[in-house]
Amino acid sequence: MLSVRALSLSLGEFSLDSVDLAVVDGEYFIILGPTGAGKTILLETIAGIYTPEAGTISLDGRDITNTEPKDRGIGMVYQDYMLFPHLTIEENIGFGLRQQKADPARIRDLVSETADMLGIGHLLGRTPGTLSGGEQQRAAIARALVLRPRILLLDEPLSALDATTRDRLRRELKSIHRTTGTTVIHITHHFEDIFALADRVAVMQNGKIVQTGTPDEVFRRPATEFVAAFTGMENVFYGVSRIRSGEATIDLGAITLRTVTTVEGDVCVGIRPEEVIVSREAFESSAINAFSGTVVEIQQNGIFSRLVVDAGLPLVAVLTRQSVARLDLAEGERAHITFKASAVHVFPR
Amino acid sequence: MPPNRDALPHPSAFKVLFLTILFGLVAYMVVVIVGLVVYPPLPALIESLTAPEILFAIKLSLITSAISTTLCVIGAIPVAYSLARFSFPGRGFINSIFNIPLALPPLVAGVALLIFYGPSKFGQMLSAAGLDVIYTPLGIIIAQFFVNLPYMVRVTRSAFETINPRYEHVARTLGCTEWGAFHQVTLPLARSGIIAGLIITWSKSIGEFGAVLMLAGATQMKTETLPIALFLNMSTGDLDLAIAASIILIAISVTSLVVFERFSGGRGVF
Repeated sequence: MLSVRALSLSLGEFSLDSVDLAVVDGEYFIILGPTGAGKTILLETIAGIYTPEAGTISLDGRDITNTEPKDRGIGMVYQDYMLFPHLTIEENIGFGLRQQKADPARIRDLVSETADMLGIGHLLGRTPGTLSGGEQQRAAIARALVLRPRILLLDEPLSALDATTRDRLRRELKSIHRTTGTTVIHITHHFEDIFALADRVAVMQNGKIVQTGTPDEVFRRPATEFVAAFTGMENVFYGVSRIRSGEATIDLGAITLRTVTTVEGDVCVGIRPEEVIVSREAFESSAINAFSGTVVEIQQNGIFSRLVVDAGLPLVAVLTRQSVARLDLAEGERAHITFKASAVHVFPR
Repeated sequence: MPPNRDALPHPSAFKVLFLTILFGLVAYMVVVIVGLVVYPPLPALIESLTAPEILFAIKLSLITSAISTTLCVIGAIPVAYSLARFSFPGRGFINSIFNIPLALPPLVAGVALLIFYGPSKFGQMLSAAGLDVIYTPLGIIIAQFFVNLPYMVRVTRSAFETINPRYEHVARTLGCTEWGAFHQVTLPLARSGIIAGLIITWSKSIGEFGAVLMLAGATQMKTETLPIALFLNMSTGDLDLAIAASIILIAISVTSLVVFERFSGGRGVF
């Protein structure tokens, strides 16, 4: 277990302001936040690159605040790979083992085993500059993983990649996490990463952690306006997707949604509240998802009202105050909700 | 299709004028330098090139420049790395101090060194300890080091600055100490920059005249480096020997320039 307490550090324009964080063993922990929030220096401080001005970092109960990076057992992977350009891929992956003066034959075995796991076994003799972005990122991950770190820190590992490569590597990160059981702390600003990977999420803003929780909690109950704005998708549910003749049905337990997606199996779905239509009566339309329920909450929020309709699952909708008045909606009354198939955003789990 | 200026039937007056000046000045520079090389008859040139005085000057120049360049490299690497990586109070000011010798006429640097190693307290202490700098080959090395260190610092610093510090961060998470990361990652990545700096420093120390003249004097067959040999023989009217020394200096400059361009990858020094 990694525990960060009241960590503070200022470094030029970036800073950490009394950061508290606890990451359990085997957890996939994602830190979300805008550029300049201090996410990278948080990772670098955990790795031991910077010494904090205040606060402590402990790993498995051992205080490592002032331990050298090399003695922490924490691996680091950057967005821009940082493979040593003067070494081959094999030498890059074996770099850490060579520092431990491991037996050359053992280094070779471990390197090729790890490279195979990441599907880059055939690239070992090449130099980093001749590899694609995805291949370089795999090599960088292999270089950290080969040392069996207690914690793997990933600094926006997927951000520099094209969409297809990103999706593939994301799936591989998930399977690596499953097979190795390594604790991962991953920085991102992609929702897909959170839905697909995270056990828990921390949201960071201006050097502070403003919220920590499961993805569900963070998205459904954003602790601050910033989190709400940054996440933007309050209706987040987990379910199972099945595709029949081009149309997907997603079983959320209490209700079943219909949408168009190519993702099957365990999924996470998100629906933006502004895409949910509320009406008093059911009505015929092209929108395929229609449910009836009870209004359980109406919240005034400036010119908009935030409505929660319980239709088996609590669905959040945003309406203008005039619409609420016109429809004469009140807590406890029946209401219908409708949204289009395209309003349902599906993310693989 | 937009009009292509190069395809116009008549080049513009602007282009003609600028290119004329360019080619005119190139021709001027080549003629001046080649003129010096071809001026003496070949047998006389060979005889001068192998004259004992010239051979002594070549040897002394090679030895002193090799030592002073080595010292420059040893000094410049920590200085350049600190300037490139660490933030500390007065960094900008210190950077300027390292640039002073670049702007200072070498003669003035030489006089300052002469005072420091001569009549000053420190100079008297050295002298009492039996270490004479003034008018000795040691003075040549000190003068070359002082004047050329800033060049080495500049090139090396720009080499370090182009290396992302994250390489070192990663190396340290992989089990390196700070020393290990520097030695195994940063130095190899800065290699060509350091070699480029070494060559420019070496070439400049071979050619160093003003500061050497002030501190080490111009004693024939004692502190007579190639530029000093050129100066001494010129002043005694021994044109053949002076030209021989010049030709060797030209050869060194041209060679080092070519090698420097190859390693520096267009990174500027001046």
